[in-house]
Amino acid sequence: MDNNTFIKMYGEYLRDESRQVGNAESIAFPKTEAEIISTVKEMSRKDIQITTQGARTGLAASAVPYKGHIINLSKMNKVTGARYDEEKDSFFLTVQPGVLLSELRKYISNKSFNANNWDEQSVNALKYMEKNQWFYSTDPTETSASMGGIASCNASGAKSYRYGSAREHITGLRVVLADGDVLNIKRGQYIADGDSKFHIATESGREIKGQLPKYKMPDVRKNTSGYYNMPGMDMIDLFIGSDGTLGIISEIEIELSKTQKVNWGVTIFMPDEDKAVDLVRALRQEITVDNINLELNPSAIEFFSHNALCMLRDQQKTNAAFSNIQEIKDIYHTAVYIEIESDSNDEVWTEIEKLGDVINGLGGNEDETWVAYNPANLEKLHYFRHACPECVNMQIDNIKKTDNRITKLGTDMSVPDNKLKDAMKMYNEGIEENNLTAVIFGHIGNNHLHVNIIPQNMSEYKKGKELFLIWAGKIAAMGGAVSAEHGVGKLKVPFLKKMYNEEELNEMRKLKKLFDPAQIFNRGTIFEFEEDVK
Amino acid sequence: MRIIVCIKQVPGTNEVKIDPDTNTIIRENVPAIINPFDTYAIEEAVRIKERAGAEVYGLSMGIPAAAEMLKEAISLRIDKGILMTDRKFAGADTLATSYALSKGIEKIGEFDLIICGKQATDGDTAQVGPSLAGALGIAYATDISKIVEIKPDKMHCLKITDDGYEEIEIKLPALITVVKEINMPGLPSIKSMKAATNSKIEILTFEDINADENRLGLKGSPTQVRKTFVPVHEANNEMIEGTLDEKAGKLSEILLKLRTEVK
Repeated sequence: MDNNTFIKMYGEYLRDESRQVGNAESIAFPKTEAEIISTVKEMSRKDIQITTQGARTGLAASAVPYKGHIINLSKMNKVTGARYDEEKDSFFLTVQPGVLLSELRKYISNKSFNANNWDEQSVNALKYMEKNQWFYSTDPTETSASMGGIASCNASGAKSYRYGSAREHITGLRVVLADGDVLNIKRGQYIADGDSKFHIATESGREIKGQLPKYKMPDVRKNTSGYYNMPGMDMIDLFIGSDGTLGIISEIEIELSKTQKVNWGVTIFMPDEDKAVDLVRALRQEITVDNINLELNPSAIEFFSHNALCMLRDQQKTNAAFSNIQEIKDIYHTAVYIEIESDSNDEVWTEIEKLGDVINGLGGNEDETWVAYNPANLEKLHYFRHACPECVNMQIDNIKKTDNRITKLGTDMSVPDNKLKDAMKMYNEGIEENNLTAVIFGHIGNNHLHVNIIPQNMSEYKKGKELFLIWAGKIAAMGGAVSAEHGVGKLKVPFLKKMYNEEELNEMRKLKKLFDPAQIFNRGTIFEFEEDVK
Repeated sequence: MRIIVCIKQVPGTNEVKIDPDTNTIIRENVPAIINPFDTYAIEEAVRIKERAGAEVYGLSMGIPAAAEMLKEAISLRIDKGILMTDRKFAGADTLATSYALSKGIEKIGEFDLIICGKQATDGDTAQVGPSLAGALGIAYATDISKIVEIKPDKMHCLKITDDGYEEIEIKLPALITVVKEINMPGLPSIKSMKAATNSKIEILTFEDINADENRLGLKGSPTQVRKTFVPVHEANNEMIEGTLDEKAGKLSEILLKLRTEVK
């Protein structure tokens, strides 16, 4: 097939949600792990690069190929088994990488799986599922994301404040390596020793031995910038968040969480940004206000900047789609949204009453809050939260009509707890100095805000991109992470260089070559190909 | 100004299941909620209060547990909840309900405006609002979608109709029923929920109102429900096979037959 025909037939597979467009010569849609293995073997023999794709919803261009072959895993979309650990009362599912988050959620909430090809243990495990209501806690906004993609970029979402990122809920992986051999790793199976040496055995019995790098990961609540590295680490964690650069994930075992009986949401409007951050710190129990010790344990702590509220308020007046949002009063300056899960309404209410006093104590007003304690009202608050990125996308789509090179510019950086105010100051000053339009929202509980620049023209777009690189340097200097949940992919390769020096990046390259000696997988992702640097 | 909002407790709308044997609504384990149309009535009363200053009372007739629902209404910023509850009120149809409510309102005393939801989502009759106005001998307007202006002695509003809107001026005291287009009900705040938690619901029993027992509850209800049923929708598909000509022929036969049946 010549390149033009290929582009005509498979052009959409040259892009992902990052809106970057790449190139490739061939594509395969394997249905089984055996098919992945035979393709990988063939490509390895021919020295052809492979780019792995899931649902192509990533924002960092991991799934955008530079050249060579694409392995698209969307046809490997089955839940293949279940396991129940009686001792821990824990429930696990085994899924193929192409299963979509939205599908998985539906299967779990309906407790309905196609178990025709499941083994006996899996079928038996299902009856334990009936005992409780379960859910999968990783909740990226994009529910059409695939499970393989979620594992590859260590995705998280709003509820990661309480539940952590994807990593914390992955208990097993099968990974096809460049020679077609397979790693079958369970959590707890391979732990790096005191000298940071590790070994992992493949299914064929080959021992892969190595040494962990010396670089230190940033001390932040959320990070997916480069390979996970920690003394005494579980080696499964190396593969989670590795952006498909070490092998192809062919199966994932995930642990489910138990659904609690009640779910509350509260949107709190604060009179300025500083007070909003103080509220976040009180929620995180870093400070007490009027000697009140909040013990809310929210699952999510989210933020909406003043500009974000102004944008929503404007849209509310002109766009019927947003008319079912409650009136955002002019006195509302900055908002913090929290979600609380519990088994008792009374327990939550006791804490919410205290929260009201804390808000007043900080100079806010407990009357300027929206409380939802039933599913219908919670839906309204979710709608409000999702309206923000929705609005940004609509505006970008409009600007794109004038210049289609312009894309959304959104950051994904996180900082340590004590640098939150500094980071926000840096964002606000950068936006103001460069005279850019931007809204800030996102996971403030994890010091992880998405700054969304809305460039009005190409020159602003370029200015925004330059600003992002400057911010990446400053965030790294604060001890932060340049990518907290989207992964480094190809777009943030220059950002990662601000976080790690060349020697440290070489340590990552060395790790990659241990598993992928010819560097055929996702070349150009996380760091540049070794030969390109020389 | 005093505004009275009539509020009914109904089964949560999304969860209604019909017992296939008895064709009645299964009420066990179904959470009770404020009739959704009444939430618009509450919101509109509260908006008038915030705009022009008013005292807003919520009035309901129901089982003692409905007191919790009135507390929820207080969390939506009404000032006071009044519950009419008595065995003698039970089993009331729309006529007996309107009569009982009118007696409750007489007990409350003066008022300027009564706001009701357009209808309740369980009975769907839309009769209580107008017949309550009748029992009280005051003017009423149904299906109000906007209050343009409210003055101490009259109000100017829009009534939604099948073809558009009617502009209405109505003398106060009056009763209006409101449709969902009128506003977007707000959520409670922590402060208003605290107020609800600390509130006391006033209870009115048969002893408290000056009513004729024979016009209350089951005794006072001329309506008898003979049967309730779920409408059955039947749709049958028939595939017409054959060549183009044969298909056209068969189709015209069927259409002609249908026409004769309709005639």
